[in-house]
Amino acid sequence: MTYLALSNISKKFGDTYAVEDFNLDIEKGEFVSFLGPSGCGKTTTLRMVAGFEIPTTGKITLGGNEITDKSPNQRNVGMIFQAYALFPNMTVAQNIGFGLRIRKEPESAVKQRVDEMVNLINLEKHANKYPYQLSGGQQQRVALARALANRPQVLLLDEPLSALDAKIRVSLRAEIRSIQKRLGITAVFVTHDQEEALSISDRIVVMYEGRVEQVGTPFEIYNFPKTQFVANFVGTLNTAAAEIVDPAKGLLKMDGVELTSADEMNGYKKGDKVLIAIRPERLSFASEQKKANVVDSRIENITFLGSVVRIQVMIGNTKFNMDTFNNPFLELPKIGDVDQVTCSKEAVLILGTADK
Amino acid sequence: MAQTAMSARKIKPPTDWKNWLGVAPFFLFALLFLILPSLRLFAGSFTDKAGNFTLENVRQLFTQQSILNAYWLSIRISAVTAIGGGIFGFLLAYSVTVGGLPRSLRSALITFSGVASNFAGVPLAFAFVATIGRTGFITAVLKDVFGINIYQSGFNLYSFWGLSITYMYFQFPLMVLIMAPALDGLKREWREAAENLGASTFQYWSRVALPVLLPSILGAMILLFGNAFGAYATAYALTGGALPIVTIQIGAQIRGDVLHNPGLGYALAMGMVFIMAISLAGYSWLQKISERWLR
Amino acid sequence: MNRFRRIPFWSWFWYILGAIYFILPLFATLEFSLTAQRDKISLLAYEKAFSDNNFIETFLYSNMLALATIIVSIILIVPTAYWIRLRLPEARRITEFITLMPFVVPAIILVFGLIRIYSSPVTVPFTNVQIFQPLTTTHFGTNVLIVAGYMVLAMPYMYRSVDTGMRTVDIRTLTEAAQSLGANWFTIITKVILPNIRTALLSGALLTFAIVVGEVTLATFLGVDAFGPYLFLLIQHKAYEPAALSFVSFLLTWMAMGLIQLFTGGQGQGAGAH
Repeated sequence: MTYLALSNISKKFGDTYAVEDFNLDIEKGEFVSFLGPSGCGKTTTLRMVAGFEIPTTGKITLGGNEITDKSPNQRNVGMIFQAYALFPNMTVAQNIGFGLRIRKEPESAVKQRVDEMVNLINLEKHANKYPYQLSGGQQQRVALARALANRPQVLLLDEPLSALDAKIRVSLRAEIRSIQKRLGITAVFVTHDQEEALSISDRIVVMYEGRVEQVGTPFEIYNFPKTQFVANFVGTLNTAAAEIVDPAKGLLKMDGVELTSADEMNGYKKGDKVLIAIRPERLSFASEQKKANVVDSRIENITFLGSVVRIQVMIGNTKFNMDTFNNPFLELPKIGDVDQVTCSKEAVLILGTADK
Repeated sequence: MAQTAMSARKIKPPTDWKNWLGVAPFFLFALLFLILPSLRLFAGSFTDKAGNFTLENVRQLFTQQSILNAYWLSIRISAVTAIGGGIFGFLLAYSVTVGGLPRSLRSALITFSGVASNFAGVPLAFAFVATIGRTGFITAVLKDVFGINIYQSGFNLYSFWGLSITYMYFQFPLMVLIMAPALDGLKREWREAAENLGASTFQYWSRVALPVLLPSILGAMILLFGNAFGAYATAYALTGGALPIVTIQIGAQIRGDVLHNPGLGYALAMGMVFIMAISLAGYSWLQKISERWLR
Repeated sequence: MNRFRRIPFWSWFWYILGAIYFILPLFATLEFSLTAQRDKISLLAYEKAFSDNNFIETFLYSNMLALATIIVSIILIVPTAYWIRLRLPEARRITEFITLMPFVVPAIILVFGLIRIYSSPVTVPFTNVQIFQPLTTTHFGTNVLIVAGYMVLAMPYMYRSVDTGMRTVDIRTLTEAAQSLGANWFTIITKVILPNIRTALLSGALLTFAIVVGEVTLATFLGVDAFGPYLFLLIQHKAYEPAALSFVSFLLTWMAMGLIQLFTGGQGQGAGAH
């Protein structure tokens, strides 16, 4: 049942649309990410839900009530900022209790709730410290507790991990997700990091230049990108120009090499130039197992990335990255070798006409 | 830290004392023209007329009525202009930062503040005489247009309040120059976070913004206090010595030993240095705190 | 905040109030200076003021004092700041303490001390051997004293300006790069250090100029015929000429500050009261 609904939302600044034609229904307890590059409108949309921006058109409803025009301090949404925004003149405990004291809750209730929250984020020993005495990760956890203490209807997170070190980012995002699941609270998470979005979301909204490119589960977004932008932005991708040979049979020719794709070719006719894409992990050596497409290739380069070995192969005139899992007992080919490489029909994605 | 890095790079680390030669000219200068004069005054305040050590001068500082009056007067003027200058300066700084006035107005105010905080002494005194002196511009306007004769009602430029109003001309700008960056340090997210948690504008200011700014505001006011306390030229140009503040007394003492006790004159000066030192220390300490918060 | 697009009434209120307070005295001075001839706007006061020999002499003299102060300050402070940055970080604390002292020892106290020390012959401590005559009794000596005094007054700003300038351009890395490319010390000073702190030097110089030209306290007590004492005397005898000169003095300060603003792009500098 829809808990947070944005319909026909758009936001204009001067003459340009920062957000256009945004529609989304979010269920209670769902964790949705807005994913996209800088300037795509994801933060603007989030801020409209928070009330810091007023939509030019459209409606926002939360829990059945329309909140489009309500001022931020009357919406009961919890916001987490990229720069933590902890009040520097207050301790951890005082920060967390801020919203409750504003609401004039009795001091005993405040104290109890603050203790609860401090335990939730595992900072009992730091409850009387000031923000400047805490690390970035700790400060962000306090920010989380502060927002949750108020029992908000939805949690809004504006790139909360971008300012943190890589290791902390990974552990903190898992912590955020686990707390969200435990409390069953609805959350909207804005990020430009696709790995982040993929790893913790129930659904992802990919945005570009103010518009929604695709909405789906992480699995759908990654494996079945609907637009060129989504395919390029999410995960690494090999792209190449190809020509349609036979739309009915799904045949293409790339650099003289024949390939079959399982993608819909309606609307394309023989001779059309298109852009195709293949994910590196969908390519493998034909010596292991032959799939629908089998092509000759020359080994150009081998890069050891740790758990993944990235082999660059030349197919036709185009270089493709092929990712295989590291196996210390498997002999790797040598540069210059000619080997056969294979992938399934479904692995060949057609991203649209080759104009870019 | 930097020194060890440098030593690691050098093949032969230079002997320590040679390095201090590089800063010797500066230290020599400071010694000759800053430290020695100050020490002279310091030593002199503990010397009696015969040249022996005494605490009598210091004792007289706290007991002689005219001296106490002088200090009290200086303290009052400094406090009044520090608080008044602080409040209005803060409001001015607020108006062009958080208050949302256009960027151009802010530049104008900051540039002007840089100028006005240096504009003291004779020209400033004259400017105020030309404005609210007996035949001043505003005095005339009030009399001819509004029928109010301020001098008849007891106002006098050449008095405590007249001098205070004049002092404001460099106190307001100094406050603006200190507070504008501090107000810039108020992160926009604090206000948004407070609103998000249910606070009204008043609650944001009373619980977050003003407490965070308090060290800066207090520190600045203390600096203003010291600034006014040490001012001589403006006061002398305006009142000609009629207002017996500490600096004027010291000036008189330099010219001719009006206190009939050189040691007491030195003690008077030292007393003032002491007050200035406390004010500087207070300002520095509060600065450190505010930097921690407004980082 | 986009929500509150209403006109910020109170901001405008305080700003306009401030503007009135600041502009009125300037306006009054200007108005006064233009009415030397009854009921007629004229530049008579300015003509008379500028043609007064005493004005020309004292003003030029003050300018020369300012120039001397600036030059000696630069010669003293730039190498010191550089040395501390590159070779002697331990001296930083004490140096910064010294640059804070002038706040605690304002002009009136400084001149008190200077006079008392230098009005007697300077001797080697504990002996009767004279090094030189009392500085206050000779013209040269007095000039030395007043330039030194001005240097002390300007020192906090000059030092801070130069130090910040050096920090901003990371003078240490530049020096090391120059050394690794084979430059000698002279080249380093003239081609690496000085050009890169140009802005800081200009800033400090302009501020020093503003402080020195109008300075009254040191000049009066040391008996120097500078512009400040001249103006002070003028007020007691004339009416319109002081107004003209006060206004010009304000314009000069404005020009100096405006130039600083131009070169440094934004931070105002307050030198406080005199």
